[in-house]
Amino acid sequence: MKRIEFLKSLDEMLELEIGTLVGPEKLDDYPLWDSTAIITFMALADSNNAAKLNPRSIAECKSVDDLLKLAGIS
Amino acid sequence: MHANLRAIEYHLPETQVFTANITAEFPDWSVEKIDSKTGISCRHIAASDECASDLAVAAAEKLFASGAAQPMDIDYVLLCTQSPDHFLPTTACLIQDRLKIPTTAGALDFNLGCSGYIYGLGLAAGLISTEQASSILLLTAETYSKFMNPRDRSVRTIFGDAAAASLIQRGDAASIGPFLYGTDGSGGRNLTVPAGGLRMPRTERSAIATEDKQGNVRSLNELFMDGPEVFNFTLSAVPQSVNGILEKSGLALEEIDLFVFHQANKYMLDHLRKRLGIPVEKFYLAFRHCGNTVSSTIPIALKHAMEEGRLFPGARVMLVGFGVGYSWGATILRWNAESPITAL
Repeated sequence: MKRIEFLKSLDEMLELEIGTLVGPEKLDDYPLWDSTAIITFMALADSNNAAKLNPRSIAECKSVDDLLKLAGIS
Repeated sequence: MHANLRAIEYHLPETQVFTANITAEFPDWSVEKIDSKTGISCRHIAASDECASDLAVAAAEKLFASGAAQPMDIDYVLLCTQSPDHFLPTTACLIQDRLKIPTTAGALDFNLGCSGYIYGLGLAAGLISTEQASSILLLTAETYSKFMNPRDRSVRTIFGDAAAASLIQRGDAASIGPFLYGTDGSGGRNLTVPAGGLRMPRTERSAIATEDKQGNVRSLNELFMDGPEVFNFTLSAVPQSVNGILEKSGLALEEIDLFVFHQANKYMLDHLRKRLGIPVEKFYLAFRHCGNTVSSTIPIALKHAMEEGRLFPGARVMLVGFGVGYSWGATILRWNAESPITAL
């Protein structure tokens, strides 16, 4: 999955306008970034054969860029 | 001797909690959001004086009323529950007495959650094949609602109370099996009621409720579920179970007529179905009206599949249970001429 598609999926997950997220955004600024969003992100990565993600590693991510790096999306 | 699943009935307690009731308490969550994630619109909740045994007895009485069997026919009672009436005596013993099942019957409780129905079928099949029993009442009953903090939406949106009664009897043709089991106790902390047993008795301190980062409130006396960790577990355990039971049975995925997984929630099941390449028309879902009822989800779904004519003589049905423990299991049901479909 390409970076732009991942970002689009994250926009949808956080109920943002498509194109909002570009990378440096802080996850704590989005109230919808919760355990449900983490599960959705794990499913997204799993569907796209990205790296197998550990929930604790996801919870440690501070920014959207951190998430993409964890999922192996450049 | 072989085991046959002859009949299923289930019982839901009277009180219903609709998603709209929950969103009224948590205005930042919409009905649509909860529905898109859980696929659940209603959960049934046991009354304050209603225990797992009451639900199980009601389900069993329904089964006897259907004519599938009578109490005097039963020679073994298996009860799967994690919310027993007492530490002791064994709840299955109390149920034997209430249902007037002969005192010559065996009875035991076993403590499992969402994998419990598979283990129950496995125990029943073993008891029958070794000729220790010939007519088994397998009961699954939970009242998780009694463990839930009203301000913990992470579990309130998902779990409902229920009981199911299944009749497993001796027959000539094999119709249940093979079985596959799995256990990983390192995940026990991710779906737990920490206090209330002997390791951590309930105290004033364990009753203190705290709020987590997501705004959910619970004490150590109450149910805690780490959703992402449990989801992570299912991503590994369920595909392994499906592939493992196919290998054990010598069947290909395409040869399975219906897949009935533990009815955890819509989001998880949709993802697993797509990941495993199971056609949507073969993947049975039946939990919108009652939520995740733990060990009763599979028999409830089977009952509905029967009523909708989704099972037919010769049909192969894959059952997969997974959850608290962690514990998982899978088996294949072969619907045959000995399955009295009308009784189901």
